[in-house]
Amino acid sequence: MSALGHGALYGAVLIAVMLSTVAVGIWFERKFAGRMQSRLGPTIVGPMGLLQPLADVVKLLQKEDIIPAGADRALFNLAPVLATIFSLGVAAVLPLSPHMIAADLDIGVVYMLAVGGLMVVPTFMAGWASNNKFALLGGMRAVAQSISYGVPLVLAVLVPVILSGSLSLAGIVRWQSEHHWFALWPVIPGLPAFALYFMAMLAEANRIPFDIPEAESELVAGVTTEYTGAKFTLFYLAEYVHTLVGSAIGAALFFGGWDGPFGPGLHWMVAKTLALFVVVYWVRWTLLRLRSDQLMELCWKWLTPIGVALVLIAAAWVQFAPQGAL
Amino acid sequence: MGHINDTLRALWTTLRTAFRPTSTVQFPAVVRPRGERYRVSFALPDDENGEMACIGCLTCERICPSQVIKVKPGVKRESPVTGKKRAYTDDFVIDLSACIQCELCVQVCNNDAIVMVREAEQPMFEREDLVLGFARLRKNATDRTRSWGHGTMLQESQEPAKVEKKAPAAKPAPAPAPAPAAASEPAKTEPAKTEPAKTEPAPEPAKEAAPAAVEPT
Repeated sequence: MSALGHGALYGAVLIAVMLSTVAVGIWFERKFAGRMQSRLGPTIVGPMGLLQPLADVVKLLQKEDIIPAGADRALFNLAPVLATIFSLGVAAVLPLSPHMIAADLDIGVVYMLAVGGLMVVPTFMAGWASNNKFALLGGMRAVAQSISYGVPLVLAVLVPVILSGSLSLAGIVRWQSEHHWFALWPVIPGLPAFALYFMAMLAEANRIPFDIPEAESELVAGVTTEYTGAKFTLFYLAEYVHTLVGSAIGAALFFGGWDGPFGPGLHWMVAKTLALFVVVYWVRWTLLRLRSDQLMELCWKWLTPIGVALVLIAAAWVQFAPQGAL
Repeated sequence: MGHINDTLRALWTTLRTAFRPTSTVQFPAVVRPRGERYRVSFALPDDENGEMACIGCLTCERICPSQVIKVKPGVKRESPVTGKKRAYTDDFVIDLSACIQCELCVQVCNNDAIVMVREAEQPMFEREDLVLGFARLRKNATDRTRSWGHGTMLQESQEPAKVEKKAPAAKPAPAPAPAPAAASEPAKTEPAKTEPAKTEPAPEPAKEAAPAAVEPT
């Protein structure tokens, strides 16, 4: 199969899988959130409300497409598309199983960080182009947040990279399946690094408790204030896909991806990804939003120093640990 | 450390709640058990002859605090059932959207012509759907379970105790021990006050006198 055909096939399948997972994820989130708040969640549309995401999408697509006066039309229209592209783009390097990788890049981790970090561009673009003070404030906050949290994210991801000596996501997973999962051993850089990654990923994806750019109680809806209909749907989708891909990468980097106690393969990767995805919801519907300054304090005073320390420990482990312990 | 502890406790709380039975139900599908005297909507029932009981006397319309009842009295004509002449009503509308379910209209109806029902109307999409028309109210009388109270019964239950009924005849006897002078005094003035309005039906003065006699106890 030609490289182009390979890419097209994997891309189509990945996008289809991602979008349907997001659809079911929305249903699950609403149901789970309902149960956490001691209510039922969606029950009317379809059996157990299973068709609720479909109803949501139909409703959203029916909405009038509004472009505010004075908005930068080109940027305004481009932002949601770019957001979706970037969030789906990271999925290209996901190692789903030993034989199922859309693009097994040598520098998969760098690619993932770069494209994931680009997510801030459409977010700020949307905030800037909306010609709305709330959207602009949200956009500014998003930039500040993403740049800050990029640092601990990179530091957290560096830990498995140093431990395995590979920049390829598939290589890291392969190393883990041959040796051990990084979240389990070595515990000290491994598990805290995962916690760090998880927090930074939530912040990058603008999820609660780090959803400062949206902050409904302060900024109306932040960068998405002026977006309606299909464009808002794209933003919504991008946010979910970003979280889903972030969960998948966390599973690959720290929990051995496709590796499992019996029968390694796709199912383990899917199970781990969904488990992390559920944790994201769980955190989202439990914790309150941090204030903007608390967010910065957490990042620069705590997470970044801890990240540096973890990288140093990982380097020391690789250098000095006895051969058998690796 | 406190932050981490609190975060973990919060996570534990939500997780525990997620696996507990919910405290809400899906309303139109599941209806919680209602109180014995639960009342929501209205009905215009028949009288004992199988005719609509309402005579269009407008008492309910006048007492309604939210003024949501609109009655259009009809012309008096001979009843096809009993052959006697009686009053009818042509139209009867209740705007449930502003009704406060005080049941005063039911209490004042001497004919038991308006009652409340236990079963709520289905949830509606338009405000206008909450205006119950004549046909709807008539249909409710046959389709829905009546609430606990109806006019004459509620009036009777608010009637003074049986002892008080003999009050005008044997005044000194029922007057309780605490303050015989205070009790007899208002009772004495009462007939004087109602004297000019003698045109009212007979039981009325007794009813009026009763609360005054009861008050001191």
